[in-house]
Amino acid sequence: MTAIKLEVNGETVSHEVNPRESLADFLRERRNLTGTHLGCEHGACGACTVTMDGVVVRSCIVLAVMADGRKIETIEGTRAIELMNVIRRHFHEKHALQCGFCTPGMLMMARDIIARYPAPSESTIRAQLSGQICRCTGYMGIVDAIKSAAREIAETRLLPNNAAA
Amino acid sequence: MDLHGGAGGWIGASLLRKEDKRHLLGASTFVADLRMPGMQDVAFVRSPVAHGRLLGIEKPAGFEHKVFGLADLGEIKFIDAGPEMASFRTVPYPPLAGDRVRFVGQTVAACIASSRAEAEDLAGNVIVLTEDLPPIIDAIEAIKPGMTTLFDGWPDNAFVHATIAEGDIASVAGAPIQMRRQFKMNRQAVVPLETRGVVAYWDHRLDELVVYTSTQGPHVMRIGLAQSLGLPENKLRVVAPDVGGGFGGKNRLMPEEIAIAAIALKVGYPVRWIEDRREHLIASVHAREHLYDITLFAEKSGRVLGLKGELFVDAGAYALWPSGPFMESSMAARNLTGPYRVEHLHVETHTVATNKAPLGPYRGVARPGACFAIERAIDELAHEMGMDPVELRRINLVRESDMPYRTIGGLTLDNGNYPAALEAVVGMVDLPAIRARQQRGEPDGRRIGVGFAVYTEQSGHGTIEWAKRKSRVVPGYESATVRMSSDGSVHVMVGILNHGQGLETSLSQVAAHELGLDPAMISIRYGDTSVTPFGFGTFASRSIVFSGGAVARASSLLADKIRTIGAHLLQAPVDEVSIRDGVVRAGAASVPIAEIARVANIRPEMLPQGVAPGLETTSTYEPPDSGGVFSYGVHAAVVAVDPETGVVEILKYAVAEDCGTMINPMIVDGQIIGGIAQGIGTALFEESPYDPSGQPLATTFGDYMVPCAPEIPRLDIKHFVTPARNTQHGVKGMGEGGAIAPPATIANALTDAFRDIGAKFCETPMIPRRVSDAVARARGELT
Amino acid sequence: MKSSAFEYSRPGTVAEAVGLLAGSDGNAMPICGGQSLLILMGLRFAITGLLVDISRLEDLRRVDQRDGHVFIGAATTHAAIEDGKVPDPSLGLMSRVASKIAYRAVRNLGTIGGSVALADPSADWPACLMALGAQAVIAGPDGTRREEVETLIQGPYQTSLMPGEIIVGFEIAQHKSARWGVSKVSRKSGAFADSIAVFIDTTSDGPARLALTGTTSHARILPRVGQYAESSRVLNPDELRATVREDLAEIDPAADAYQLRCHVATVSRAIAEARAT
Repeated sequence: MTAIKLEVNGETVSHEVNPRESLADFLRERRNLTGTHLGCEHGACGACTVTMDGVVVRSCIVLAVMADGRKIETIEGTRAIELMNVIRRHFHEKHALQCGFCTPGMLMMARDIIARYPAPSESTIRAQLSGQICRCTGYMGIVDAIKSAAREIAETRLLPNNAAA
Repeated sequence: MDLHGGAGGWIGASLLRKEDKRHLLGASTFVADLRMPGMQDVAFVRSPVAHGRLLGIEKPAGFEHKVFGLADLGEIKFIDAGPEMASFRTVPYPPLAGDRVRFVGQTVAACIASSRAEAEDLAGNVIVLTEDLPPIIDAIEAIKPGMTTLFDGWPDNAFVHATIAEGDIASVAGAPIQMRRQFKMNRQAVVPLETRGVVAYWDHRLDELVVYTSTQGPHVMRIGLAQSLGLPENKLRVVAPDVGGGFGGKNRLMPEEIAIAAIALKVGYPVRWIEDRREHLIASVHAREHLYDITLFAEKSGRVLGLKGELFVDAGAYALWPSGPFMESSMAARNLTGPYRVEHLHVETHTVATNKAPLGPYRGVARPGACFAIERAIDELAHEMGMDPVELRRINLVRESDMPYRTIGGLTLDNGNYPAALEAVVGMVDLPAIRARQQRGEPDGRRIGVGFAVYTEQSGHGTIEWAKRKSRVVPGYESATVRMSSDGSVHVMVGILNHGQGLETSLSQVAAHELGLDPAMISIRYGDTSVTPFGFGTFASRSIVFSGGAVARASSLLADKIRTIGAHLLQAPVDEVSIRDGVVRAGAASVPIAEIARVANIRPEMLPQGVAPGLETTSTYEPPDSGGVFSYGVHAAVVAVDPETGVVEILKYAVAEDCGTMINPMIVDGQIIGGIAQGIGTALFEESPYDPSGQPLATTFGDYMVPCAPEIPRLDIKHFVTPARNTQHGVKGMGEGGAIAPPATIANALTDAFRDIGAKFCETPMIPRRVSDAVARARGELT
Repeated sequence: MKSSAFEYSRPGTVAEAVGLLAGSDGNAMPICGGQSLLILMGLRFAITGLLVDISRLEDLRRVDQRDGHVFIGAATTHAAIEDGKVPDPSLGLMSRVASKIAYRAVRNLGTIGGSVALADPSADWPACLMALGAQAVIAGPDGTRREEVETLIQGPYQTSLMPGEIIVGFEIAQHKSARWGVSKVSRKSGAFADSIAVFIDTTSDGPARLALTGTTSHARILPRVGQYAESSRVLNPDELRATVREDLAEIDPAADAYQLRCHVATVSRAIAEARAT
């Protein structure tokens, strides 16, 4: 077992973990943060996306021990962030979810895309959603939600102060 | 977007979904999110070989009590799966292998540990002793004389041979135009983003086994589990929590569910198994593997008179409870003439057992294959005759004046205007502009093609249809309980299983319409056999017809009672009161529904004579015509194809469809788009191949390609609305149609792109390699 | 799909890391981004007794420019290169190659050193670095050495790295002319490629070089294609096709007709892109 200390959703936590534990399993099983989902466990679907030190990562292919000393933010940690709630509202209005399993990962990626491309075109959004699997929606609602959310975020100047950090 | 429905009230309103909230917050509860004190994890030992005698398993020393083989599960009854037909051969499917293993990935043993990682460590140390038998992996070869059979005593490897013969195919043997083609739709997986999973434990307080499972049909699965375990149904509670997609792949009782439940009965703590993606791709329901050999008989005018052919369904090693694989063949054969006025049909079908994972339902069930065959054949016939494929369809399509039209396959297309949908979609892609572009050529050397396909989608079919299919469980109705509490808020308990279709929203719209309430006052409950009345679950595009009908009926009866009580409180005649906007009104006077609810629940002394207290009704519902109603549509695709690399880009995808009345148009569009995305997956990306020794080759997303946003185009959708004649509000089910037509549509577009060289596109998925090889072959380059 | 058990160590210096790797009798592996290795470990295709975390070693995160060369530390992420956060000696080629690797979330952690050290036959960096004539700087028990990436990679998941050796970084000559082209064919966006051709045209920096990923073995320079491009300003498609096939007959005789078609296509397009500027 290895001792780690890291920040999770703003809270500093210390744990003894098994070196082979993924960050995803650490969050889900030890921190009970089950909003981060496992769709493949080999980094190919994006359902497990969280941020680590402000950038999006696929937590199933990050070891908990390698997150030592890092700042982790999961979907639960974004509930009070205004920019994320704008994105949520657009997902809701554009029917960007059906079963909901991909949704947390999609939301984390949506914010990342908007932070890097404040006025993204449809083709940019689609390209940036590469490897982010949704099996239900056919992606149109998700693309439309990200486009309209980006527009509102730009108009209300929610960035850069609320960028993923 | 119309959020409040306007003149239609809640029917037809694109109400935003109630179920979104928890998912957007990351607050859903899928089976892998459940936490129980003392819960242990299970990893399965799975067969490494495709076919063999299982001689035994060697458990690691010191861990014998943590490794379960079949003998350790206690008494398990192997229940018969498949249609109740004498000609269908039933076989036992043990939850852990008995004396044989019959596909790579078949469950052999279960290992328990305090974490999944440790359970996998333990499983890795279990030795599986097998004596290899010849693997059977080709359905056509499998039924030839002399082949090893998977099951002792079978004359050949077919679960069933069945011939569908209607009309008189011999009468068209002299038809002037005869064209024969073979088509193949390859095997694939279902791949909901949430894999399967089970958590089971004995609840001592209620003296029952509790099984949480990611399933589409908890009530039906309870029946199968109870029979398997020898438990009375009132000692078994099955719960589907949030389910992350099913698409048919979670609508069969699976061996892992039985094994985990049986283990929970044996040990004193909760046990959990969460399927990983590799297990899913190898051992979850596989789908679609059909081979067609069909001949069309036609007049010189292009009118198709008859279809003769043979169909092989590669059904894998076992039949999954309850339905087994026969529906693949029977539905494919009966849908093989599509929406065309063909009058003679003769199809020999073979549902073949092979050493592969068992075949099960996947969105569209059999019809994607049948549509691929007939729609490709129509295009091939058009090319042979030098006709435009659109024109050939015009000649043969069922017309509005033919409705209701009983197809030669025995499906009664109820209503609709199929030619209008065809014309609409031709307009949506601007066919003349495509032809002009093809003439000009592309600067990057790609070829442009446009293709069409028509589909029908039987939905809302009940007793008559399921009985025709010889189902051992006949989903001939749905139930709904509507209960109003003392403050006027409502629970609606239903037997279907919402897993992404937005039924928490659409069913609340149906109830709101009858009860005169805002949908926000109505909570839909499903998924728990202890909470909901009996129902069959969500599949076969049945939920809005059956459950919508049951909810409407129960709500309507409850509304009658509310009006009766309201009339009494208002001292008005019952036929002069109306219920709307949260009140019961008589002229200028009104009483809030909430007040009526208070009276009915806790102030019974204020009730009228002869009216029982409480506000709760349970109703069942089946549409009057249980042969089903038919949604239909036409898809069109414009593609750009790289002739060298075979890479296909979909430039435009349009659909004109008719699913009758749409309770929530936003949700309908979502189902169409999602279905088409899966259909594109079948058409261009997804395949589960096996090597000659029966090893599955696509075992992770590194090999199994699921399309993402760059692969799926924007869709143009046009709706026609021809309400069903006899369903509540005229609704028709439509969840599967999107997935039925894309393989045919895209293959027709590819064929069109290379019509000048006659490249053949008759096999899915049309991955770049296959497309490139087809072009090279047509050019005479393939060595 | 949980990995088998292992120990974990995060040494503070390259020397410590080398010592741990060399001293574990082949039972230790380095991990940097982990974006490929952890997948292999989850599938239990890769098994080790000790993972040595080299992702935070300062010497591997260093990037500097001097004497007409850029040194890019092995732990530099694909995202940093994509975003232009590190000096780019290739005038945009490396940024473009980086941007097409897998998915953004993977690029945030995956490293250029890891890509080369693992030597997956479909990895994106090897052909690019070969085309650029990059040298790997390698630290090991016997000290530091340099090797051309072209010879470092020897086969599928096979490199010349000895037990205990880790790639510290890459030295790449600062190119002065941006006459390059890249073409990639894969079954879907972000998936491992069936073919990647990286072409750098003749300039004052040197002769034309074309490197190809997607052989059954490992990324390779196509020498005849390079010479043909060098000698012909206008390419004849049939001659180019024949030249590609000649090179592949020698370096990848197992390539089938489809693979050959893909390689001819990517090579043609990479050259066409370079010459369009």
